[in-house]
This record gives sequence, C-alpha cells and structure tokens, in this order.
Amino acid sequence: MTSFQAEFAPSKAAAATPMRAARLREPFSIAPWIYLAPTLALLMIWTYVPLVEAFKLSFYQWNMLPTSPQRYVGLKNYERLIALPEMRNALWNTLYYTLGLFPMSVIIPLFVAIWTQDLTGRARKIYRALIFVPMIVAPVVAAILWRWLLNEDQGIVTLGLDWLGFDRIGFLTDPRYALATLTWITGWKLIGFSTLLFSAANAGINSAYIEAARIDGASRWGIIRDIRLPLLSPTILLLSMMTILFGAQWSFAYIRVLTDGGPLKSTTNIFYLLYQYGFETLSAGWSSAAGMIAFAGFGLLAAGCMWLTKRFAVYDN
Amino acid sequence: MTIENPASSPEPSSMTAPGLVRRLAVHAMMILLSVLSIFPIYWMIVTSLRPANEIFSTALWPASPTLENYAFVLTRIPMLQMLLNTAVVAAFTAGLQVVTGMLAAYALVRWRMRLSGVVHGLIALSWLVPFQVTMIPNYVLASQLGLLDTLTGLIIPNAAHAFAVLMLYHGMRSFPSEILEAARIDGARSWKILWQIVVPNMGAPIASLSIIAFISAWNEYFWPLLLSRKPENSVVQIGLQMFMTQEGNLWGPLMAAACLASLPILVVYLVLQRHVIESFMKSGIR
Repeated sequence: MTSFQAEFAPSKAAAATPMRAARLREPFSIAPWIYLAPTLALLMIWTYVPLVEAFKLSFYQWNMLPTSPQRYVGLKNYERLIALPEMRNALWNTLYYTLGLFPMSVIIPLFVAIWTQDLTGRARKIYRALIFVPMIVAPVVAAILWRWLLNEDQGIVTLGLDWLGFDRIGFLTDPRYALATLTWITGWKLIGFSTLLFSAANAGINSAYIEAARIDGASRWGIIRDIRLPLLSPTILLLSMMTILFGAQWSFAYIRVLTDGGPLKSTTNIFYLLYQYGFETLSAGWSSAAGMIAFAGFGLLAAGCMWLTKRFAVYDN
Repeated sequence: MTIENPASSPEPSSMTAPGLVRRLAVHAMMILLSVLSIFPIYWMIVTSLRPANEIFSTALWPASPTLENYAFVLTRIPMLQMLLNTAVVAAFTAGLQVVTGMLAAYALVRWRMRLSGVVHGLIALSWLVPFQVTMIPNYVLASQLGLLDTLTGLIIPNAAHAFAVLMLYHGMRSFPSEILEAARIDGARSWKILWQIVVPNMGAPIASLSIIAFISAWNEYFWPLLLSRKPENSVVQIGLQMFMTQEGNLWGPLMAAACLASLPILVVYLVLQRHVIESFMKSGIR
C-alpha cells in the first residue's frame, strides 16, 4: 500500500489496525509542537498562507509589480473568466488530458499485468528494470527526446511513417494532433510503472482463491472477472485517483517546453492557463480566480474519489 | 531466457502447443513494452554520439562515434555549474525532507494530542493543493525575501513535504510500541528515543524517501522556472530548456545536453535499481 493510498483511500484493514492501545492521554505537552514546528511552519508559509492570499487576490486586479496598487474588483475576475472561451477551452483540454491518460495509466497496464503474470525468473527482472525507466526520466528530458523522435522532417517516427507509406504528421504543430501527442508523452512516463504496480498487486492475490475457482470449473476469463479484478480494485482506484488529481499537472512541463499551449491554444489546460495569466500576461487576479476554480473543482473530485474508494474497493482481509 | 517455474506460477501452463504460443505472446508483449520504454532513451544516447554528418542516420549505432556534441554543449552553456547546482539543490531538499519529515512523523506517533487529527489532515491535504494555485503568492514572497535566482530559494519551499511526513509516519507506526513505552518508562527523553531507538530502525523508509525526494528534486522544473534568472545560478532542467530554445534543431548537441542532465539519475538507477523501483512502488507517484 502506498502512502498516498493509505492517506486518501484508507482501507478497512488499515482503519482496523489498533492504534497503540497502551497509550494513555497525557497532559498538554509542548514537546510534540516543537517536533512539528519545522514542517508546520514551512507548510503554512509556502502552502496555506499563499492559498489564502491567492483567494484574496482573486477579488483584486493587480499586475504583479510591487509598486503598483492592488485594486478591489469584487467578483469581476470570476465573471470574466466564466465568459471567456479560453477558459472553457482549457477546461475541455484538461478533461481530454485526464481521460486520455487512462488507457496508459490504468487500462493497458492492468491487462498487461494480468496477461503476463506467469513470467518468472530472469526475464521478468529484465523487463521490470526496463519498463520502469521512463518514470525517473525528467519531464524536460522526456519532452526533448520526444521532440526529436517526432520531428516532422527527420524524426525516427516520421521516417517510419514514410517507410510504411503514410503521410507525415505534424505531431506538435498540427492542432488536431498536438493534444494527443502531449497526452501520449505524459502517459509514456507512467505506463511501465503502473504495470509494475498492478503486477505486484496481482502477484499478492492468494492463489488458494484461484485454485478453488479452477476446481469449481471457472474459466480463465471468469477467474479474472470474479476474482482478480475485484481484488485489484484498490490499485485500480488508486491509479485512477492519481490520474484524475495529478494527470493535468504532470503535463505542464510538456506544454511549457514543447508547445507553449499552442498551436491555436489546442494544448492549453487549466494549469497552463494559470501560468500564462500569471507570468505571461501578468494578471494576478485572473490567474488567482482561475486557480480557485481549479482548486475547488479538483477538491470536489478528490472528495468524490475518496468516497468511491471507501465504498467500492474490495480488500482481502 | 524463458525460464518457467511451474511450481511457483499460480496458473502453470503445460508444455503443450497452446501453452507455448501463450508464453511467446507474453514475451512479445513485454518486449514491445520494454522497447517502447527504453528506445527513446537509447535513441537520445545514440544521437548524442553521432558526428554532425551522421545526425539523420537511422543506423542503430554511429559509424564513427564522437564526443564533439558534448564538447559543444560545454562551451555554450555552463553545464557543469548547473549540474553541480542541481546536485546541491537535490541533496539538500532530500536531506531536509527526511529531517523535517522525521520530526513531524515522530510527534504524530509518539504523542496523542487533542489536535492530532487536525494536524495530520493539514499535512496530508497540503499534498492536494496544486502548486500552480499558490505560485503567485509564493513568487512574491520569494522575491521579498531576496530568494530570486538563488539556490536557497529553490530548496527552502521544498524543505518539508506532506509525502515525506506521511511516508515516515506509516513506516514508524509499524514500529513496536512496546519498545517505545519501555524506553519512556526508563525515563529516556523523547529526543534520545528518537535518535537512539527510532531512527536506527527506520533505515528502509529513510532510504526510500531519500531516493524519491532526490530524484523528484533533480527533475523539478516548475519552481526553478519561476525563480531562476541567470543560467549559472540555475538547475540543469532550466539549462536544458534554454539550450533547446537557443539551439533547438542542433539535434546532436541537444541530445548530448539531455544525456548530461539525466546521467546522474540513470547512474543512481543502475547502481540501486531494485531499491529505486521498490521505493517508488511502495510510495506511489509524487
């Protein structure tokens, strides 16, 4: 179980773990607060106070210059944003990134892991070592190497398409393909890692269940559907939750390095829009208002995901 | 290559023809996935070794490999300085996250406070605040503190992370409480218990956290993007992006720069491969 899972998708098993039963309630002590101070101070200074400030800024107009005044404009920033087609476009693209990641972060890895469960020994170790590598490659490096592979003139993928007799594709320059390309690069980093997570979870399934089902005459598919998938549900939900909550953030570096949100804003997602409003057009108010909308939206999604996990995850305990 | 061990395999496939076909298909799928994962990196390395007249070649290995692309990179951007900066930032970030995380996790495990739940929640929820939402106030604060274009500015805001606290917290909770109780009854101070009993037994989670924190700090792009001004004060990810903007289509040098930027991480991976994979698997994505 990962830390993320333990925290945001608590299992019944984890909840049932007895918290040090012998521990008695002690009188107030200053000691724990001293231990907590560095972490709490840093999180306050760099996360929570800025969050409140961003909320405040979302009602102001300000160009981020320390010398220029902040002007209170009430809900105007929000009203403008909701009316802007840019904002709607960015939200749609965010949805596209998130849904587009699912095949690579959940669906394909799940089936590859089940399909390849018999692998053992040396071969398994080698595959494991190889498919994990993209996970630790820096996003900027990943962006640059895919930019080379997909280069419209001499990239190896383009040459491959030529060889197969297909037309060349402007992977990063054609508004029809750029969004799919960036989603692919984001997913490329995850596919191997997700496969390994599913493999580990799948290998952890008690083989007695499988044996019993086989003796009862269950088919291979029947075993997958009725035993493996339910018992893999915590991992499925974990990876789905991470994809939903962080997928659009993971793509930020690729957008920044490769397309700057273009062509024709086709790859701008909500997080990139925040960045552009803040650091390109220097409108702190708009950026903060869009940030609050994103924060509220993702907060609701997170709550929904946790509820779903509590309700539907099946644990073998 | 195909060592099958029927005894440990949950669904032993016999040596019949369908079993063999299935096994071949399994290997085919894993080979496809491996090539997909590793080929882009292989191609980066090969391209970086090609001389200028071979750059568009599709041969799997250059006819006359050369290091001239690397030499070119070193003359154009202060690559070595940036690598050093990145190493400093990543090492300090990882070290500080271990220390702050350890202290906070210990407080949550050792004491039962009225506000434990609130504190725990506050730490955990900070994970869900997207950095892009707080970036403007963060940037303003950093500039007021004079942290723009400094390495300190890159380190401090990341010196504590929810992930670090929670990972160590879950590691520490499995620590047998009887030992802690016994030490307390013996009158040991909490500080002494932490350093003499808890920390020496937390080797595995500390190592995992250090690996993950170091790699994520090395790969971090967004905060340096806001904070950095001069290349010599910046980290390698920013240098790489600047180099791409200036020399975008000099593929050989660009790939050489990308190789230099990933080299330390790939070396760590080669040496600690099993540990790296297991750390990430245990702790999830960050």
